[in-house]
Amino acid sequence: MTARNPLLTLEHISLSFKGVKAITDMSFSVAEGEICALIGPNGAGKSSLLNVINGVYQPDDGIITYDGEIRTAMRPHHAAERGIARTFQNIALFKGMSVLDNVLTGRNLKVQSSWLEQAFNVGRAPKEALVQRQKAEEIIEFLRIQPWRGSLVGGLPYGLQKRVELARALAAEPKLLLLDEPMAGMNRDEKAEMSRFIVDTQREFGTTIVLIEHDIGVVMALSQHLVVLDYGKKIGDGPPEAVRNNPEVIAAYLGTRH
Amino acid sequence: MTADTLPFWLNYQASEQPVKVALRHKQRGIWQEKRWLELRHDIASLVSALQAKGFARGDTLYLLSDPRPEALLLAIAAHWLGGSATPLDPNAGEADTLSLLARLQPAFIFAEGQCQVDLALKLALKPPLIIYADARGLSGYQQGVLQPYAQWLGAANAGSISPPIAQAHDDAFVFFRLDPQGQVERLNLTHHQLLNQGRELVKQERLTSQEEALAARAFAASGHLRYLLAPWLLAGFTLNFPENINTRDIDRRELGPTLVAGTSQTYQRLEALIYARLPLPGTVRRAFLDWSLTAPAQTKPWYKLFAYWLTIRPLRDVIGFSRTRVPLLVGEVLPEPSAAFFAALGIRVRNWPDACDWQPSPNSPKPKHVLQDSYLDDSLTQLGAQA
Repeated sequence: MTARNPLLTLEHISLSFKGVKAITDMSFSVAEGEICALIGPNGAGKSSLLNVINGVYQPDDGIITYDGEIRTAMRPHHAAERGIARTFQNIALFKGMSVLDNVLTGRNLKVQSSWLEQAFNVGRAPKEALVQRQKAEEIIEFLRIQPWRGSLVGGLPYGLQKRVELARALAAEPKLLLLDEPMAGMNRDEKAEMSRFIVDTQREFGTTIVLIEHDIGVVMALSQHLVVLDYGKKIGDGPPEAVRNNPEVIAAYLGTRH
Repeated sequence: MTADTLPFWLNYQASEQPVKVALRHKQRGIWQEKRWLELRHDIASLVSALQAKGFARGDTLYLLSDPRPEALLLAIAAHWLGGSATPLDPNAGEADTLSLLARLQPAFIFAEGQCQVDLALKLALKPPLIIYADARGLSGYQQGVLQPYAQWLGAANAGSISPPIAQAHDDAFVFFRLDPQGQVERLNLTHHQLLNQGRELVKQERLTSQEEALAARAFAASGHLRYLLAPWLLAGFTLNFPENINTRDIDRRELGPTLVAGTSQTYQRLEALIYARLPLPGTVRRAFLDWSLTAPAQTKPWYKLFAYWLTIRPLRDVIGFSRTRVPLLVGEVLPEPSAAFFAALGIRVRNWPDACDWQPSPNSPKPKHVLQDSYLDDSLTQLGAQA
């Protein structure tokens, strides 16, 4: 859809849960370095699609091409190893751990030392701990969460927890970042702040981002590419301007069809 | 005899105690140190870079920043070249700051990060030179008028700069504000004034090079220049900068500064911080705490010791005053209950005046353009992206 190489391509993806068709024959590409938004009414299959992309669900049909690798299915651990990180609609952090420790968990796949070296703090472990801490601190600074570095995540406000979750995902240095409703439940100012962080993530790290968001104003301002879903089918795909004028999208959103 | 100026005193400290720590700045969770000699070298680099960009005697460098070492060092570099620095209040509203800048027509601006750069770029004037410290979010901006501070530090000819040309009666800092009628007022502070008031503080409070001071407030308040910046250069102690304005309480607690210069608002905020952590009234713990804070003079010494270790000391720790020897209050006095509260903690707050002589500023034309704002335009820095 753009001149840039696609990082992710979905071809004819279908997914069903017993008799319920969640996704039907879905195909689209996400170019490297772009922000792609998945929009659609509740139950349209957006979150299911994210789960297919990072291997939580295995599609019934179709092919996923990610970073040159063609697969019919991908396991979550493989997706993480290949540079796919995500955040969740309902925050999935370790509430009893500090912000710093949560962010450090995002670095787990980058750790080279063995558990024995870590247990006795010998060999590669001490040097590596410093490197991981430094990387985590870079992300903490990037997302401006230094004041809460040592705070327990469970006691933080909702908007801040969302930011910590983003920090943990970024700590994994992902190529593809999947954000499931990163601004749900936020007020206008918090949304503006989170939007800025998302744009900065793309600009500063060159990360490709696929996000689900319901606030159309935010989506239009943030993304370079929109994919519109309705009842598990794709009804629109293209730049925001083109999608906004698509009669089928207008009908689905204005409710004239259903 | 060389002029009695701020750059002169920096040079002096760099020769007298070159390896003593002059500055500490917390970055990414770690306190980074700079020694006096390193500081002098950094300032020499900044002087070269400023000079190369046409900054000359009589020019003004505007500081759009919370307290951070980069702003301080650039201000001293401007002084070195015979110029002055104008700190702008980072807490002032965007519209006020823009209105003020539009009238002052700055040619040189130090902007802390993306927000401040965006603000400076909104000025529909001849684009000023903007030096920025935090590069985050600025990679998509046109770099013509934007200069990264970090790059300036590596100036090759830093060692070959001439001695400071500032004179004792030159303006070191010039403050501007808008009066209720929208007219610009100014307050000038010469090197001589700053150093004299600094000397008075050093003498009265017996400040030595062993002090640890925290620069948590913006230098936008002139009192902080008088009672923190000037004494730092005169006594040669260590000036510490928090990671950012939001971490200042945590950083103060970690550091335990011996010298604190705050305003009435600072002390009242710290008092509120303590009250927020106290046990609820009516509980046994709260009753013990209240007794500890108000224990009469005739209380037996070991009871007092007990109260000190169990309540007073932890409370002082909470606000980072565990080692504070010189708690300064600049400007407006503390309300009586707050003063009594700090006295009960053994913190005898000393009030120093922030005498200001604001004068109407000549040659400050009305702004010629209308400043506009819009929702996501701002948030997503479209302006910067187009720049």
